[in-house]
Amino acid sequence: MNYFKHLYIIILIVLAASSCKELDLAPTDRFTDLNFWTVDENVNNALNNNYSGMYNSTLYFYNEAVSDNAYTARGAAVGNPEAIASGSFNAALPKFRNDWSFYYSGIKSCNLFLTYVDENKTLSPEVIERMKGEVRFIRAFHHFNLMKWFGDIPLIDRDISPEEAQTITRSPKATVSKFIVDELAAIASILPTQQNTEKGRITKAAALALQARVLLYEGNRMAEVVAICEKLMNEQSTYGTYSLYDSYSALFNEISVNKTNPETILSLQYVPGERTWTEYFDFAPRSAGARTNSLAPTQELVDNYIMLNGKAITEAESGYNENDPYINRDPRLTATVVYDRYRWINPDGSTQIIYIKPGSDPDQTALNEYNPNGQSSPTGYYWRKYFDPTALSGFRSGLNLHLIRYAEVLLMYAEAKNSLGQMDASVWDETIGALRRRAGFTDPAALNYPGNTDLTNIIRSERRSEFAMEGLRADDIRRWKLAEVVLNGFAHGAKFGDPNIDRGYIRAQRREFDPARHYLWPIPTSELLLNKNLSQNTGY
Amino acid sequence: MFLLAVITASAAPQISQANVYVKSFSITIQQDAVVTGTVTDEQGDPLPGATISIIGTKTGTVTDEKGYFRISVPEENTGSRLSISFIGYATQEVAVADQKVINISLKPDVGKALNEVVVVGYGTQTRSSLTGAVSQVTAKNIETKPSANLLQSLQGEAPNLIIQQNNFAPGSGVNINIRGLGTLGDNTPLIVIDGIVGGDINLLNPNDVASVSVLKDAGSAAIYGSRSANGVLLITTKSGKFNQKPTVSYNGNYGSQHPYVALKKVDGWDNAYYKNESLVNSGMAPIYTPDQIQQLKLQGNGDWERQSLLQDAPQSNHTIAISGGGTASSYSISAGYQNQSSNFVGPDYGYKKYNFRLNQTSLIGKLKVNTILNYVKSQNKSHSNADWVILADADRVPLNYSFQDSAGNFLTNPVASQYNVKSVLEKGGYYKSNNDQVFGSFNGSFNITNDLKLTGILGGTINANTADFRRLQVKNFPSGVYGDDRTVFDNSFKNMLINTQLYAEYNKRFNDNDIRVLLGASNESYESRGFQLQQTLTDVLLGTPTTGTLFDAVNSYNSIARSQYTNESSINSLFGRVSYAFKDRYFLEGNFRLDAASRFAEGKRNGFFPSIGASWLVSQEDFMQPVANVIGNLKLRSSYGILGNQSVSAYQYQTTYFNYSNAYGFNDNVVGGAGYNLGNPNLTWEKSATFNVGLDAGFIDNKLALSFDFFNKVTRDILTQRQDVPLLFGAGFPDYNVAKVKNQGWEATLSYTPNSERLQQSFGFNIGDNKNTLLQLTGGATETELAADVFSYIRRVGEPITQYYGYKTNGFFQNEDEISSYPKPVGVAVGPGDVKFVDQNKDDIIDEKDKVVLGNPFPRLTFGFNYTVAFQGFDLNLFIQGVGKRDVFLRGEEVEPFHYNYGATMYEHQTDYWTPTNRDARYPRLAAIGSASNTNNWRNGSDLYKYDAAYARLKNINLGYTIPQALSQRAGMQKLRVSLIGQNLLTLTRLKFIDPETSEFGNNTALNAASNSARNYPLPIFYGGGLDITF
Repeated sequence: MNYFKHLYIIILIVLAASSCKELDLAPTDRFTDLNFWTVDENVNNALNNNYSGMYNSTLYFYNEAVSDNAYTARGAAVGNPEAIASGSFNAALPKFRNDWSFYYSGIKSCNLFLTYVDENKTLSPEVIERMKGEVRFIRAFHHFNLMKWFGDIPLIDRDISPEEAQTITRSPKATVSKFIVDELAAIASILPTQQNTEKGRITKAAALALQARVLLYEGNRMAEVVAICEKLMNEQSTYGTYSLYDSYSALFNEISVNKTNPETILSLQYVPGERTWTEYFDFAPRSAGARTNSLAPTQELVDNYIMLNGKAITEAESGYNENDPYINRDPRLTATVVYDRYRWINPDGSTQIIYIKPGSDPDQTALNEYNPNGQSSPTGYYWRKYFDPTALSGFRSGLNLHLIRYAEVLLMYAEAKNSLGQMDASVWDETIGALRRRAGFTDPAALNYPGNTDLTNIIRSERRSEFAMEGLRADDIRRWKLAEVVLNGFAHGAKFGDPNIDRGYIRAQRREFDPARHYLWPIPTSELLLNKNLSQNTGY
Repeated sequence: MFLLAVITASAAPQISQANVYVKSFSITIQQDAVVTGTVTDEQGDPLPGATISIIGTKTGTVTDEKGYFRISVPEENTGSRLSISFIGYATQEVAVADQKVINISLKPDVGKALNEVVVVGYGTQTRSSLTGAVSQVTAKNIETKPSANLLQSLQGEAPNLIIQQNNFAPGSGVNINIRGLGTLGDNTPLIVIDGIVGGDINLLNPNDVASVSVLKDAGSAAIYGSRSANGVLLITTKSGKFNQKPTVSYNGNYGSQHPYVALKKVDGWDNAYYKNESLVNSGMAPIYTPDQIQQLKLQGNGDWERQSLLQDAPQSNHTIAISGGGTASSYSISAGYQNQSSNFVGPDYGYKKYNFRLNQTSLIGKLKVNTILNYVKSQNKSHSNADWVILADADRVPLNYSFQDSAGNFLTNPVASQYNVKSVLEKGGYYKSNNDQVFGSFNGSFNITNDLKLTGILGGTINANTADFRRLQVKNFPSGVYGDDRTVFDNSFKNMLINTQLYAEYNKRFNDNDIRVLLGASNESYESRGFQLQQTLTDVLLGTPTTGTLFDAVNSYNSIARSQYTNESSINSLFGRVSYAFKDRYFLEGNFRLDAASRFAEGKRNGFFPSIGASWLVSQEDFMQPVANVIGNLKLRSSYGILGNQSVSAYQYQTTYFNYSNAYGFNDNVVGGAGYNLGNPNLTWEKSATFNVGLDAGFIDNKLALSFDFFNKVTRDILTQRQDVPLLFGAGFPDYNVAKVKNQGWEATLSYTPNSERLQQSFGFNIGDNKNTLLQLTGGATETELAADVFSYIRRVGEPITQYYGYKTNGFFQNEDEISSYPKPVGVAVGPGDVKFVDQNKDDIIDEKDKVVLGNPFPRLTFGFNYTVAFQGFDLNLFIQGVGKRDVFLRGEEVEPFHYNYGATMYEHQTDYWTPTNRDARYPRLAAIGSASNTNNWRNGSDLYKYDAAYARLKNINLGYTIPQALSQRAGMQKLRVSLIGQNLLTLTRLKFIDPETSEFGNNTALNAASNSARNYPLPIFYGGGLDITF
């Protein structure tokens, strides 16, 4: 008994004493400052992380809803773009804060990379230079997006401390613009061409094309835009070989084309089954398997598509019939928008008719595609562009999202030439003519240079039809100061409504745009509280 | 001489000796006065182990298993008195006089009498010697309230022990909080089960619990040092008693849970009318013709509502316990089974728990060895989606639709077109968890001398948890499919917490002085690992890999690759206590703990947490004796100390980089990425300076007992995210020691136990309140606001730590005159029936500058009321619990009619909206989403979303009848009691359409908490019966 007793006590004492544990515990699944950058694979991963944060699918699609192309009733889940479109918002709208934070997080990550990458001594200097070029592009792209929405912004070209973040001021838009343009010019010489690198990497052409876009948005630097576009169009041995791909719709619907076509200058990369986006779950017709409709094309977008004869639907002798509105239209309409009695091609190649007009479906038990008190499209239109037949369940798609296509270079060129008064038949043929041929127009009336008609509006309309759902329309109506026109009044849907109200076109949303305030977004209120040196935009 | 182990709770003169200890009684065999008798409880049942002592001597004995005692009273003591005591019962004194047989019936000690033994850190004390604020809840308060979770039984039992559920789903956890929120970080109290730190309170069988001590202040909690700032819950499980004949008892109950659903949709045809009205009000065309509305009316309502997805579900608890003891050992063994079925329809959803517990003590000479082993298996089966998704889809659809047609097909409709949530419940797969926990505590204490005792404890918990999930594909009609991803996953999560302790106690009494010293060391080490494998597109029928099956790299991980499952932490500690009592009247106590924790960098990791406390038993003073029959007890006590909190995740002091998969693609091949987390090398303890002052008093022979405490706690160096750096910095921060919060409050308990021979009654009431104030946020920042849906949460220096924030409404625009003259938000075209907001700064425009604080989400004035009465075998226990003051902001379709593109129906409570004939409405006029009216009324987060969540609830009612012993003994039973049980039967509240108790906040009123969408699993109303048998 005594023996047992003493043993018990000894065991307890030994256990208690030996349990004074070592307290310097390090994580086993992570690196620390000391050892991260020296490993080549880590540097690659850090670079990939910057690519990953370059942009995202939610911003890509839902910014369309702050333009006249689309309306969303999804609300807070996508940042309330409908509040911006309706004009009733203030600086506290979470989207301003969230977007601002998204871009500045990207900038921070880029700056960290640029600060620390030189600690790696095993990658070759050329590789590190190329990587820095890619990261500098991404940093410039974030600044460009910030400048586009907020105007003057804090320019952050190095890794800053929390204390600097509390005192930094906004740089004038011109300074930011100069920084972006200079950076893009500088890295263009470092970056590889598309032919010399993996698909998806940032190239010389991406740097030049973004530079052209920045200058185009300035509005008064068209000669420089022309010069850059000419490099991309005419010096392809230096800057990479690009051309329009034959099929417009395949760029967005056929995964092999989407990923390997000669038209992509830069796209956000996804990989089927592994890195995917799912917004289409709320875009497709519901009889095609969608969940809700959260982004609806407007009647105004549909109306923008010209007739096969090249005339706008409002023009005399266009042949447009309001009661059979979707025939003889720009083929890009069918490639983009799903309308009543649309012939939808299913992933297995079969087709189905999408009956949208209430009561039109011969199968009376079917779900009505337009039901104003449901989760169907509030405009009576759905999307086809970017429908991925190879998507996994829940519309998990591996399609790349185009950020810059060669088509944009052509349209930037056309716009710049036209604004310099240099539009002529050959420029037309190279740009709009080429785009319309590719889209499937055959009527010479649509393909030939129309001469001295309203070319400005023709070019603008062409951009809208070509790039619908690619996020450029919101930029365009702002830089053209068109927003105050097209974002005042109702956004409409198809002609399924009360004939006494707006001739039967459904009212989807009443919108207001105050030109004195709304061309710039407000700086998020919380930022002003924490950094007294930040000023607010006019009207907020 | 022989040894007896006794848990005494003796009267005042022996107070300082009261403890769990081994004490010798000398039984002098003399011829002179032998007194015998039986000690029974209030029911007449014998009380084995009751202590009988002769006042003023060291002579005493204990009753045997039949409650019988025999004591010799020396001649010189015949004029003296006997003291008869038993834990949980009021001590009685009787004069011996010439009596040879004295039978005593002890009464339960309902009032918090001063001789109650209270479990404290590393020991026990009598209530009279306490200097800190401790509430104790004992088994009888728990046993009458059958529930699957101990915390539910504790709700309302102790003042300022605030228990809230944000979800009533079977097996879900419960928020527990002591004295409100005192920090911006984690406010969860430390849980100590049978002396071992860090157990899982949710897994205990409530019937195994002997007592729960709530340590609230520095005086009581400082001995737990760096984890004690939020208070400590000490749970002691039942043990056997020495010299007790074996008893076998069964305690069980069975009943039905009825889901409480107050949300009511309007009729389908009325809804169509309202929808039209909302469109017309917004300048749009109506979508339903009068014929269509008439058609809807003829067709009648369907069943698409919550009620159709819920059903009454059984719940049962069964516990069998055996306990007993001899002279040198005692034991208690119990087995419990609990089965709480889910209220959701579908195949056998619910929670099952199996508990086995052994508590064994042996005396081997001067060594006492105590072994506690507990094994718990808990299994939960739920559906393959989130509860909120199921309830949201049930809520959003107008009532003219049904879930199924007459052929049983699951239907979709224009509002819920993706899939039918009833098909999810009935056929859509499952999530099953299967968790095992082993808890063990091996405790040896050795009396080196009569005054010096050494105790060593090795204890810990091992959890081995697994879960498997499968989503099944279900086709709906006319379209829609659920689960076409056919996901299957398995995971496993193991952790181990080992706690070793060694401490010495020295107790010495000389003359009027009593000194106790405790000094010890401990280590706690925690380690966890987990992994998961997930696949999609598995075989439709079997869930096995097949053609096209994909491995999901993002949701699969190995043990080494996920920091939230794979981590390690450790704390080394030294702790001690010195108490000094003079004349059993004046008490002084000091506690300390020295902790070193791995979560902090070297140089920052040591924390010293001292406390000091004093108390004065005023009623023992001579000058109080004249009023002794009025004021029986009066005690004043106070304590002050520094407590700590180290609740941050491991490794935060280092900047770390982590690799992850599927970041991007090049050449259509996926590549990984690397992210980073900034570190903060200066990270250290959060410290709370806590002051407490309290008083305990008993009046009218202690029938009326009152206890009151006031506290003030100032927590500095609060571990939280920096709030002073703008987002443009571009990165999140680890926790910093930045903020400072004051938390002040009070709590009171009042009990009244009128004495009556035939009718035994007791009334107990407790109430507590606290008010916190943010003293410092971060650096120069004085406030931070974060949007939660449309309204915001704000944290502002000088005000409570988290508040609702937005616009204050001022009724509705009644006419065009008001519209033209009253301030409005810029650019919003309002009409009559739209909301008016208060222009706080009088600048004639409604903008962000007009936002004000609108409410406080945390419960204030929490209370509990308990009434028991026993009469001729019948007993009734009635328990009311509630919250006196709380605001809740609700959002979503349950609040806003026709919310976004998902809400397509209105509810009855929303029909009180503005019309020209209902100008004094609760809600504004109806308007379509995206319209100026809707934007004005609903997108400006205002007190339109605010509801009063104060409530009082009849939480538990238990009516029992004990069969007269004469009858039950014939059936071989000592005791047989049957009872009827009802829970949550009645709730008084102004918030009618959802349960007022559910909160969006846990123990951490984080600014990023999801806003409350009123879509939680419903409160169960329980009706059932119970059976208690003792053999």
